[in-house]
Amino acid sequence: MSLDPLVITIIEALVKSIVVIVGLLTAFAYLTLVERYVVAKIQSRIGPNRVGAIGPIAVLQPIADALKMIFKEDIWPAQADQVAYTIAPGIAVGTALVAWAVIPLNPSLTIAGYKIDFYIADVNVALLYLLAIGSLGVYGIVLGGWSSNNKYSLLGALRSTAQMVSYEISLGLGLVGVLMISGSLSLVDIVQKQATVWNVVWQPLGLIVYFIAATAEINRLPFDLPEAETELVAGFATEYSSLKWALFYMAEYINMITISVIASTLFLGGYQGPFGILPGFHWLFLKIAFFIFVLMWIRYTFPRFRYDQLMRFGWKVLLPLALANIFVTAIVMVVLGR
Amino acid sequence: MAVTPPPAPPETRVNLNDPQVVAEKIKTTLPDAVESVSAQAIVVQNDKLLEVARYLHDSLGFDYLNNLTSVDWLDRFEVVYHLTAIRRGGTPLTLKVNAARDNPTVPSLVPVYRGADCQEREVYDLMGVRFTGHPNLRRILMWDGFEGYPLRKDYKEPYYEEDHKPFGTRWDQGHHVIAEDRNPWHDNVKYPGNFDALAFKPPRDEIRTIGVEQAVATKLRTDKIILNFGPQHPSTHGVLRLRATLDGETVVAVEPVLGYLHRNHEKIGERNTYLGNMPFTDRLDYFTSMANNLAYAVGVEKLMGIKPPERAEYIRVIMAELTRWLGHAVAVGFLYNELGAFYTPLIYGLEERELILDLFEAASGSRMMCNYVRFGGVARDVPAGFLDKCQYLVDERLPRKTDELESYLVKNELFLARARNVGVLPGDVAINYSAAGPVLRASGVKYDVRRAEPYSIYDRFEFEIPTGTVGDVYDRIVVRFAEMRQSLRILKQALKGIPAGEIMTGKKNYQVRVPKGEVYGRAENPKGELGFYLVSDGSPNPYRYHVRSPSFIHLGALNEMSAGYKIADLIVIQGSIDVVMGEVDR
Repeated sequence: MSLDPLVITIIEALVKSIVVIVGLLTAFAYLTLVERYVVAKIQSRIGPNRVGAIGPIAVLQPIADALKMIFKEDIWPAQADQVAYTIAPGIAVGTALVAWAVIPLNPSLTIAGYKIDFYIADVNVALLYLLAIGSLGVYGIVLGGWSSNNKYSLLGALRSTAQMVSYEISLGLGLVGVLMISGSLSLVDIVQKQATVWNVVWQPLGLIVYFIAATAEINRLPFDLPEAETELVAGFATEYSSLKWALFYMAEYINMITISVIASTLFLGGYQGPFGILPGFHWLFLKIAFFIFVLMWIRYTFPRFRYDQLMRFGWKVLLPLALANIFVTAIVMVVLGR
Repeated sequence: MAVTPPPAPPETRVNLNDPQVVAEKIKTTLPDAVESVSAQAIVVQNDKLLEVARYLHDSLGFDYLNNLTSVDWLDRFEVVYHLTAIRRGGTPLTLKVNAARDNPTVPSLVPVYRGADCQEREVYDLMGVRFTGHPNLRRILMWDGFEGYPLRKDYKEPYYEEDHKPFGTRWDQGHHVIAEDRNPWHDNVKYPGNFDALAFKPPRDEIRTIGVEQAVATKLRTDKIILNFGPQHPSTHGVLRLRATLDGETVVAVEPVLGYLHRNHEKIGERNTYLGNMPFTDRLDYFTSMANNLAYAVGVEKLMGIKPPERAEYIRVIMAELTRWLGHAVAVGFLYNELGAFYTPLIYGLEERELILDLFEAASGSRMMCNYVRFGGVARDVPAGFLDKCQYLVDERLPRKTDELESYLVKNELFLARARNVGVLPGDVAINYSAAGPVLRASGVKYDVRRAEPYSIYDRFEFEIPTGTVGDVYDRIVVRFAEMRQSLRILKQALKGIPAGEIMTGKKNYQVRVPKGEVYGRAENPKGELGFYLVSDGSPNPYRYHVRSPSFIHLGALNEMSAGYKIADLIVIQGSIDVVMGEVDR
């Protein structure tokens, strides 16, 4: 007796999705712990060392944090728009998770005659899909900020919208160079084409533009204007508490992983090792870790941009750079006849 | 814009700091303005005050209002002004004006000295003297609707109602009536009969700030929003509340709303003995308690006419300069927090502060609330090993850390973009607003109390007064770093010259006798000029005890500094003047 291939595909996709989501949620939890150690090191402190400590590492700290979050009182502002207020954190997390559907994590394996692909879907417009999903993420913030009926939240939401519009373009254009070189929108293809030489060799400027724009896209410092603790208290998330707040927080961290994985996939060869050595998930993991570390490093050492400076930087520096990158790439490709 | 001294007018030969001379000059132009004159002060006719002030400001060069306060003499109120000619130098001139006991009014000096704004509101709030012509005469420290004027001598304070307060037993016969039951605090507020706090809406929800009306008229018909920063806000340095009118991201006007930490320090000060006030001065600017102690001791010693022995003077200078270093390091760190640099620079500053606090703890027994200085000396000698540790810090660690912090912080591109030309306060405006300390010097005014009116033994040390050029946030930071270096320079000289010997004139006393008189003692604190106006009637506790706190007066200039900039700048400007609420609300 054999199952319908469609059923097998669905089951396979379900299992993979669950694995990815569970993996991401765990990664998020422990990322907060890692961040606390990184910042402790930067600020010459010790960091968490109490909850379930094994040596100097508080292994159970994220679990304690999660439990605390769950048991916090969930406050609903009386004047908030109840529907939008509730779904906003869901949108934020949902879009952060959905992006992972198209990312290849490992070379395909064949076990007992059955080929396992380590991605959920090989979409032929994967790159476009990623950009589209990334843009949707802003709705979580805007809805959350608008529906809270709080002036800080409103300002945060407004800033987020303006910031997203400005940086979305540079973000997309930064990736166009990779697209031109690879000639494909599928991430699986793009990774396979980097087996020997990573795209970053041809596209260093593209990586820089992408990374800066992506940092702005996920509201990390120095672009954390929608949140801007010292100005807007917590920006769009001011009125949120308990699990709803935790969801925003989760979205931010998952987004961090997502932009790191996109940068690794498109520019640093994804799961490919340098010069084709031993491809596998461990390389991807190291690359993600590197980008995440850079994000944390920036966060704890730089002051924040001002709103108008952020806009000026986006439109007058980043966008021309991205365009110049495309222009130069095109010329070089024509000259080399590729 | 460096301030050059104006060409010497012909009358520089006469001493313009002598009230007698100044009074003669006033008499030549305004014949019947002077009521009386003594060696300490000029008493001016109430209705002529504004003209006299204008004459002093425009013609005699008294461009700076140090301090404005009032004394309740039971038969009349006396409003006291201390004026300095910053550009010419010299000690403050005391100007007084009398007001009737019932319905006291005095002309407002805001048209001449804008720095009088907050201080006049404070006098109105606590003493009930009305200032005619003040643009915004409302309560500032007490809440609107509070009944009574707490600093008046006939205001009976709950729990402490006796006339002679310090050592009297409240009820000898064990008569347990709590004063608050008779005069409960909630009766100090008058609400309408059927008042419902939840349904209450203020009559007009628009900001009552000077200058808003002019600023509101713009081309586009857009709505302003009023945003209350604080009193609970991550970056308002405690319980400061800023009522900001915003046009989008741009600040139209901002009004500080104060009083959340008000404990009527001055009333408590009048109840305490002179020495009993010493630990209370710790709580003013709680980062710089040693320097606060020193400023207070300078005032009282002036009144008592005593001088501490050499060793005590050196110890005081060492403590004050260590305090200045740590005060500035923390100020810079907090400013970076406001800029969004998540605590890292602050913690680097705090790391060094810990080492200095260790020294304070070794000497005084306490890290933050030192209570170390005494009238005529210091509480106890520094312990063995203190000077060696201090020497190590001053010679090696702190200079290295100053350079390190400066190279991390001042040259950062993002910082330059955020701090240059933000919150500009030009030199003349800064003087007019009575700004002091690093804020005044950043605006290019070379003024430092340690040089202008040297107290303790500051006249012996070599140091420079760093100044800025533009008067923006960047200058305020650069000036602070330069002052940290100068502090280390003074410390080096002090550690080299410190003699052995006594640390106290006379014997230790729990009770000092202060002769009758009045004094305005001031010292250069990390935040600016900290002044103590003391009136003694010969009793063990001061008759009037007024604190001129620099942060409080700087907040009066906040609107001038931040109107027209962005919200993010408002927070940074507020950080760059380095307010500490313990000192603002008193």
